Amino acid sequence: MFCTSALSPLQLPSRMETHLWYVLPNEVKSQSLLSQYVDLLSPLEKDHVFSMRGEELQKSALLARALVRTTIARYQIHSRVSPRSLVFRKNAHGKPEVIWEQSDDWHPPPLHFNLSHTSSLIACGVTVGSPIGIDVEEKQRTMKSNILSFAKRYFSCEEVEVLSAISDPEVQRHEFIKLWTLKEAYVKALGTGFSGAPFNTFTIRFGVANPNPEDSAIVIVPLEKPTNLTTNWQFAQVQLAGSHYAAICRQNDGLPGGASMKVIVRKTIPLVEEHCVPSIVPVDD
Amino acid sequence: MAAAPVTCVRLTTSMHTNQIVGKSSTMRIVPMGRVKSGFPCLRTSRFRISCSAKPETVNKVSEIVKTQLALSADTVVTPDSKLSTLGADSLDTVEIVMTLEEEFGISVEEENSQNITTVQEAADLIESLVEKKNATA
Repeated sequence: MFCTSALSPLQLPSRMETHLWYVLPNEVKSQSLLSQYVDLLSPLEKDHVFSMRGEELQKSALLARALVRTTIARYQIHSRVSPRSLVFRKNAHGKPEVIWEQSDDWHPPPLHFNLSHTSSLIACGVTVGSPIGIDVEEKQRTMKSNILSFAKRYFSCEEVEVLSAISDPEVQRHEFIKLWTLKEAYVKALGTGFSGAPFNTFTIRFGVANPNPEDSAIVIVPLEKPTNLTTNWQFAQVQLAGSHYAAICRQNDGLPGGASMKVIVRKTIPLVEEHCVPSIVPVDD
Repeated sequence: MAAAPVTCVRLTTSMHTNQIVGKSSTMRIVPMGRVKSGFPCLRTSRFRISCSAKPETVNKVSEIVKTQLALSADTVVTPDSKLSTLGADSLDTVEIVMTLEEEFGISVEEENSQNITTVQEAADLIESLVEKKNATA
């Protein structure tokens, strides 16, 4: 993978690509750097960050906003776009989007983004020409509830069957987490909120009986007829930093033969550095 | 937003005669100009009078939230505490809702669970669902 140094021009993703950026809060220790991030934020964002309980949550919220602002500005879309100048709003269902400054001589690119964070990793996915949803979870995340009880309550019957068939509890827990991230990524891509696509109204189906690394085999199967749910979406699953599962969902541009999503992963410290990392598809641990 | 201090108005509703089934039990009143007599005099210009859940319900919700989020014993959780600012992500919120369902013997529809952002909102929803369940039992 080619590495780019900070501040050199970065091309927007092509319509065939998805860019995935992530930052590890543990690697951001400098107080002066964190202050620089605070300076990038809007007053509302600052209020939100400082309303979080405790330093760790505040830092995570701060990094999330710094990541999305610096990432979008990295594509050097327009000389007037800087991390600080970007304006965000939420759509009718609460999904964040950029409001571009429009003028007669400039039309913004159809850039889409979506954020997800855990306490130990924050990620931002970027696409051009397609809505995107991403979700990240720690591989080691434990559930307070019983996994099958949870799945029976919230997932589809087919998904419960797949999970029930896994005898090793650790493998079952990993597969549950991956399935959760896929479902979350889809609902976030749709942008209509949890109630717009309740988890038990669709199945995430893999190409064969057991989940496998072939992303092109993942499909959405709506369970209600008629349904409002669209199915022209494709998924990718990647592992980040050896510690997190990430799921990405974006529209399927009618690519022939169900080609896999091309994902370019970059690890970054906003304003400081970034480098490409190989995109790793999760295998059974 | 400040909740009305001390005086919590509890409206008793008869589910059979008042047609309040399914509606949110929280009312928000924003006084225009002078506050009418009979209302508490407040320094803030917006206040909420809610059909407040019983303290036991609020406490139980707080307990469940603290357990789910593994909060330290000295973390202060108040009725106005937002789950997200306490560190709940979407999976935590769903787990909390499921635990509440099991604890109170109710079923929360997705559109309602999305509206649970604070401890108070969770407690109010629980009580309205319990009332509804008892009324149809």
